[in-house]
Order: sequence, then structure tokens, then C-alpha cells
Amino acid sequence: MSEHMNPAIVGDLPTSHKKRAASQKRKGFHPISDSRFFAKLAWTGIRNNRRFYLPYILTCTAMVVIYYIISFLTTNPLFDQMVGGSIMQSLLMLGSAVICIFSVIFLFYTNSFLTKRRKKEFGLYNILGMGKRNLSWILCWESLIIGVVSMVAGIFMGIIFSKLAELAMTNILLLESNYAFYVSSGAIVDTVKMFALIFLLLLGNMLYQVWKSKPMELLHSEQVGEKPPKVNWLFALTGIVILAGAYYLAVSIKDPVAALLWFFVAVIMVIVATYLLFISGSVALCRLLQKNKRYYYKANHFVSVSSMGYRMKRNGASLASICILCTMVLVMLMSTGCLYIGIEDSLRERYARNIMFDVTSENLGLSDSEYARDLRGVVEKSTRDNGETAKNVLDYSIVDFGGYVTKDKVYFDPNEIMFQANTWQMFVISLEDYNRLAGTKETLEQDEALCYVSKTDYDYDTVTIGNEEQEKTWNIKKQVEKFVNSGADAAQIMPSMFLIVPDVEEALAPWLSIMKENEGQEMRMHWIYGVDVPCDDERQQAIFNDMVENVGALNERMADENGEIPIESCSYECVATERASFYELYGGLFFLGIMLGLVFVLAAVLMMYYKQLSEGYEDQARFEIMQKVGMTMRQIKKSINSQVLTVFFLPLMVAVLHLAFAFPLVYKMLLMLGFSNQNMLIMVTVACVLVFALFYILVYNITSKAYYKIVSSLQ
Amino acid sequence: MSLLEVNHVKKIYTTRFGGNKVEALKNVTFSVEEGESIAIMGESGSGKTTLLNILAALDKPTGGNVLLDGQDLAKIKESALANFRRDHLGFVFQEFNLLDTFSLEDNIYLPLVLAGESHAQMKARLEPIADQLGINKLLKKYPYEVSGGQKQRAAVARALITNPRLILADEPTGALDSRSTDELLKLFGAINMAGQTILMVTHSVKAASHAGRVLFIKDGEVYHQIYRGDASYEQMYQKISDTLTVLTTGGERA
Repeated sequence: MSEHMNPAIVGDLPTSHKKRAASQKRKGFHPISDSRFFAKLAWTGIRNNRRFYLPYILTCTAMVVIYYIISFLTTNPLFDQMVGGSIMQSLLMLGSAVICIFSVIFLFYTNSFLTKRRKKEFGLYNILGMGKRNLSWILCWESLIIGVVSMVAGIFMGIIFSKLAELAMTNILLLESNYAFYVSSGAIVDTVKMFALIFLLLLGNMLYQVWKSKPMELLHSEQVGEKPPKVNWLFALTGIVILAGAYYLAVSIKDPVAALLWFFVAVIMVIVATYLLFISGSVALCRLLQKNKRYYYKANHFVSVSSMGYRMKRNGASLASICILCTMVLVMLMSTGCLYIGIEDSLRERYARNIMFDVTSENLGLSDSEYARDLRGVVEKSTRDNGETAKNVLDYSIVDFGGYVTKDKVYFDPNEIMFQANTWQMFVISLEDYNRLAGTKETLEQDEALCYVSKTDYDYDTVTIGNEEQEKTWNIKKQVEKFVNSGADAAQIMPSMFLIVPDVEEALAPWLSIMKENEGQEMRMHWIYGVDVPCDDERQQAIFNDMVENVGALNERMADENGEIPIESCSYECVATERASFYELYGGLFFLGIMLGLVFVLAAVLMMYYKQLSEGYEDQARFEIMQKVGMTMRQIKKSINSQVLTVFFLPLMVAVLHLAFAFPLVYKMLLMLGFSNQNMLIMVTVACVLVFALFYILVYNITSKAYYKIVSSLQ
Repeated sequence: MSLLEVNHVKKIYTTRFGGNKVEALKNVTFSVEEGESIAIMGESGSGKTTLLNILAALDKPTGGNVLLDGQDLAKIKESALANFRRDHLGFVFQEFNLLDTFSLEDNIYLPLVLAGESHAQMKARLEPIADQLGINKLLKKYPYEVSGGQKQRAAVARALITNPRLILADEPTGALDSRSTDELLKLFGAINMAGQTILMVTHSVKAASHAGRVLFIKDGEVYHQIYRGDASYEQMYQKISDTLTVLTTGGERA
């Protein structure tokens, strides 16, 4: 029985070329005059290996398309003129940088795979009398062909799809789109420069590989005997411990600011653990199964378990990468998708009513003041003048200050207030206002309070407020549900505590004087007033502008002879004005999420495809032997199936597991961005996973078909 | 009844796009008795490998039939073929065909595992065979760690462990050095002495000279056969060489 030779590799060389290559040697090569010959050799090489090169070229093309589209959008004048600056464009710029780095890494990976497969062919050329210089020429031509083809095709398709992307983008950002077709020469130049550089780097790497190798090595590069996988128990155990740690972190963190900080630690831990587990853990598992003789020596397990060990040893790293890519795609899609879908919710959270006024003063009792009365009048008049009526009036007083939280103590120590995990925003509100807002009839004793804590949990029955010299403890009668959308809370990433007390003045009296003496630490009295105006954004804007004018007049009227008004400040905001920038930020993120998701998915899929293909060629010989030894075709198919399935779906399963544990952390971080709809997050996550899995299964079908074709070409 | 009967076997290959027909076997007839050791010789292209594939039920004859223990191989259902091969035939290949992902022990177990035997049974079966073949100490090693001769001995063990009716060997010494060749042939002799029927296809005069009977195939037919009788290895060697000379110089049929 002759050793099985891979037809795609050896059969490559048309005999005419072999002869020609040999005769050329006698005459000696002249690089320039023979360039057509090399070009032809390069072209034949690509064509005959199209099963490997086609996906590669397609990927390069796709990368070019995506890169062009992103740089097209960053330079698109349509978005330049957009209201609210260019948050989105700087987001895209960031995205294009990520894509650049990723393209380089990923194309290097696929390219090294291709080079490895072609080493045998080069070895043959070498033995037939081609020097390394000549091989280098072939490589140059090859890179040129691939580079030009993928760039031309990529830019062409990029131009076609860029309009589509532009429309998608305007749609996402709720902008008016026009029907002008626009080709960005700047983006083309950018793309060409970028990918020319990448292809040059790739070529350099290939040349280096060929120059450092020896002909016989080239010829036999695919047949290096492989040692059985060694189990690194230490790595496997470390992997488990780190992963458990990361999962514990993800689940146990309550505080959102801490979540933000720890998220990156957890991500790095998960990445490290994933690599360790895929590389060592999987091999260790196979070894454990092998040690269980009862399990191992079964027709169904025997072949699968032993070859899985080898497979994981070879593929552990790339499967881990695929797993991490999948996780990244899913996290990105679910978070950006949620933010985008939840924009209106977030807006409502941030802006409790269409038009909001926030009046502050150094004294309590603002809501009963003359200023408040007049402001209410102004709002009512402006809406009425525009033919609308104000609805859902929101009207309450609240006191806020920053506090440094340790366990159940909230201290206002000006030196400690910084951007750090245990700084909370404290709000104090009267029971009367609370009952009115929440529609309840709660009653409280002297030292009792109700409390609501946002973004995190509070596990104590009392809360003590004060400083070193003076403190007061409240018994928390109960923790209540959220009762009002507070813009101040939604705009901040720190948790807030709303303390509902029977008498605000009495509660805060002891500290008011202290606060006034301390620079930088303040206790502010707010009077919040907001209304909904049931009409479109443009009209709302008009009404709001009217109000702003009238408030200006009011301030002038209220001012005393020194120009002092009886309040500290009066700020006003209209959700209609802010909506565009929300859409720009979240829409841009979502768009970028989709784009990056596309790139990552493409990469994961292609890695998978190449993996399976190269495995197929290795397994071909193996299954031929098994058939001879008496394995039925059905057993072979079953064994192949279980192995391919495992290799294919293991990364996805682990990615989903990672995602499940990342969920609380992601939710915490979305909370900080004003998204609090947990059910929607669950739904979006499930949807993302389903769409992704569907795509994955599709690729699995294509890949496993190619794989079967290779393996079952026995005989 | 003979263990194996090959009756007027004919094999015609058609090239993939219709067109040319190649007659690999014209009319092959011979039989193998239980306990025999037979070598089939012939030049490249004489149809040896085709014949072996048909005997192994890997390929079906165009005409004629092959009976093993009176059972027509061509009539065994496709689904039962692999099991039949596993239970009745043992294979030894030129390239050993050991799986590099298995230790030698697991390689030898492979047919039994596929047959669903328990580990204890397999172990009990392997012990005497490993003793006989002298591979006791190598069982835990992997194919890449041992020499060609050792690999071939493991492959022989794999062929023997199912207690096959017939061992088919395809150029078993083809990839071995002369010392390993001698050892393997001695081993085949011993196995044959113990009652195992062996059929070997080979180029090597030396390998053939150890067989009890040598069949020569030329142009798809059995051209000649030599029985050892009482001849020594050297005498047998001489007889085979002479026949091959006649065969290649195109002498008249003997």
C-alpha cells in the first residue's frame, strides 16, 4: 500500500511545469524575463489550491469591504454635518483601529496555515532546481495576485455596499437619508494603503519562512511524527481555578463601579482560563477518560477519545481563540443591541419627563416659594400658547449630597469623596412627596425611614449618616421599589440611596451648617419640576424654547436690586434636544457592534473551516486504516460526526457559558448607562445567541460536507 | 472443503469516463487448505493487489467467485462486510498501518474493541500473542517510538488477536530491513506451524521462499505454482528465482 499522498498538494504541479522548471534550471533564471513564468506558476498554485485560497481571498476581500465602509462612513460628509458633533465618527475611528489590528493578526494566522500547506509543493520545486530566489519570486507574484484581486474586489463591493451601510446608519441614527451616491476617494486611498501594508507584512513573513527552511524539510513538512499529547495537570488545574475565580467575580460583584473596574480583570482571567482549559484541560479530560478502561474500550469511545486528545493538543489554542471571539461577538451584540433598543427607556430614565426643570437653592421649602409658583405658570402658559397641554406633571423636592459608604455608615468626609467604588449619591426626600409620587400611604415613626438603593443592593437594617463628630442613625422600616425616574441618578455611574424621612428639615438640620462651611462638599436642595408634552420632537423643541425665554424673563423679574435671584440655579432640559445625541451614541455603538461582530464571526468561521479541512486530510489516512482493520462505514461516520461536532460546538458552548456568567456584569454596566430592563436584556441575549448559533450551524453544515468529502474519498 | 476457494475470478476496471477497460484479472483459480502458507508472486501490474483486495472483500470480482469456508464473499451484505472482515480475516500491510494516535497495545485492541469485547477479555487474549511475538515490553509505546520491525510485529499481533480464519499479508517485508525481515518470516513460520493459514502477496523471493506454496501470477492468470515439499529455504529460493527468470524472459508455460 503506498503512503497516501494528498492529491491537492502533490497533484498540483502540472507536468509541463515540472519539465519546464527543470529545463529552465539549465539555462538559469533571469528574474525579469521569466517573470511571466513565475506569475503563471503562482497563478496555477492558487488555482489548484483553490479550496484553501478561495476562502482566504474571500476573507481578505471581506476585510477590505468592511474597512472601506468604515473609513467611508468616517469621512462621509453626511455625518459630518450631523447635529451633536461626531461621537459616532470617533467611535467608528476606534472601530477601524480595532479592525486593523485584528486583520493583521487574523490574516497572519490564515496565511501561515496556507504557507504550511504549500511547503511540500515548494520543496518539490526546490528539488526540481528552483532556488530560493525563484521561490521568492513565485511568492511575490502570489501575494500580488491575491492582494490585487482582493483589494479590487473589496473596494468595488465596498463602494456598492457603502450606500447600504450609509442607509442602515442613517436609519439607526434616525436621520434623513438622501439618494446621492458618493464614492470616497480618501477612503479608497486609506484602504489601499492599509491593506498594501498588511500584504507586504504577510509576504515578508512567507519569504522568511521559505528562506530559513531546507528543501527536504519543505518536502516532508507535513509528515513530522507527532508525539502523544502530554497532560499538563498544573495548567489544567490553574485553568479551572482561574475560571472559577472569574465566574465568582462576575456573579458576586454588586457595586456597578466595581463591576466596571473588575470587568476587565474578569475578561482577562476568562481569556487566560479559556486558553489553559482548551489547551491543557481538554487533553487532561481525554486522558482521564482513557484511564477509565470500561469507558475507553468501547467501540463508540475508543477512536473518538484518543484522537480528540491529539485534536485538542493541535487545536486547543485556535479553538480557545474562536471561543473568545464568539464570546466577544455575543457580549458586543447583546450590550450594544440592548442599548440601542432600550434608547427610549434610557431617555425616560434620564429625562423623567419631556421637559425638565431642576431648581436648586441653599434653603429648603423651595417648592412653596414664589419662584416655583411662577415657574409653574410659565410652563403652563408656554404649552398653552403653543396649543398643547402639559401632562404627567412631576413635582417634588429632594436634597442630595455625596457620601462615603462603609457598611451601614454614610459619612460626608470631603477628603474622601472621589471617583471610587464606595462613593454613593445620597438623596433625601420627604414621606409626603414619596407617598404622592408612589401612590402609597406609608407612615413613619420619628427615627424611621424608607429607603431605595439603585444599581446595587443594600443589606442593612439601619443607616447612619454623619461625620466623626455627629451622626444620626435611621431604622429602615423597609426598602421600597423605585418610585421616580431621577435624571441625577441615571446620569451617574455610582449607586444612589434615596432615603425617605418623615421630616426633611429636621433630619438634615444638624449638618446644614457644617456643609456650608466645607468647600467642595455640598448639600443641595432641589426642586424638580417636569411635564410631558404629547407632540412630536420639533414642537416640543419649540415649546421648550418658548419656556426658556420666559424663564429668562422670570429670572429678570425676580432679581433684586443687586441682580440676585432668590434661587441658586435653574437648569432645564428637553428630551427632544437630547434624543439625537443618544441615538448617535447608542446607534453608533450598535452599528459598530454589528460591524465588529461581522468581522469576528467571519474570522471564527474561517478558522473553523481551515481547521476542519486540514484535519480532514490528516484523518483521511487514519480512517483508511480503520476501514481496513474492520471499522464499518457507519462507525467511521459516527466517530467523525462526534469529533467534528465536539470540535465545532465546544467553543460555542463555552462561549455561551461565559456569556451566562458575564450576564450580571454586563447588566451592571448597562445599569450605569441608564438601561435597567433586565427582561429585555435576557431577550436580546437569547436572540443574539440564537442568531449566532443559526449562523454557526450553517457554517457547520458547509464545513462538515467538505470534511466528509475529503475523508470519504477513501478508495 | 478447502478453507478458501477462488474460482475463475475476473476483474475488469472501467476508467472513470467510460472509455477504456482494463482487465486486471483474467481467470484466476486456486484454493487454499487450512493450515497452508501461500505466497503469491508477480510483477507490478500483474494483478496481485487486485486479487488481494478481492480476497479481502474490499473489492468485488467482475466474474467468478471467492468462497471462504464455503461462503461467497460477493454475497455478503455491504453492512455486514466490515464485521465479516474483522471476524474472519487478519491483515498485515507493508506500511504497517498502525494508528499513530494509539499506543501499540491500543492498536492491537482496535479490532476487538470494534467487536465489542470487554477490556478483561482483550487483555487475556493479548498476553499469549504478545509473548509469542516478543512485544511485551513495547505495548505502552507509541508507533513513532519503535522500529519498523517492531511496528510490523504489533501489526501481526493486531491481525492475530481476532483468531482469524485467514491472514492476508500485503508485502509484509516490503518496508523492513533484512534483519527484521528474517525475524518476521521466522515469526510467520512459527504462526503457521501453530495452524494459522497465511496468504501473502510479495515481490520478495526471500519472503516467498518461506511459504509452503508459491503461486505466480502473470497477466491476470495463475501462471505457475511451486510446492515446497521437503525443500530447504535455499532450494526453494533457487526454484523461485528460476521460475521468475522464465516468467520475465517470457519462456513457454511450464
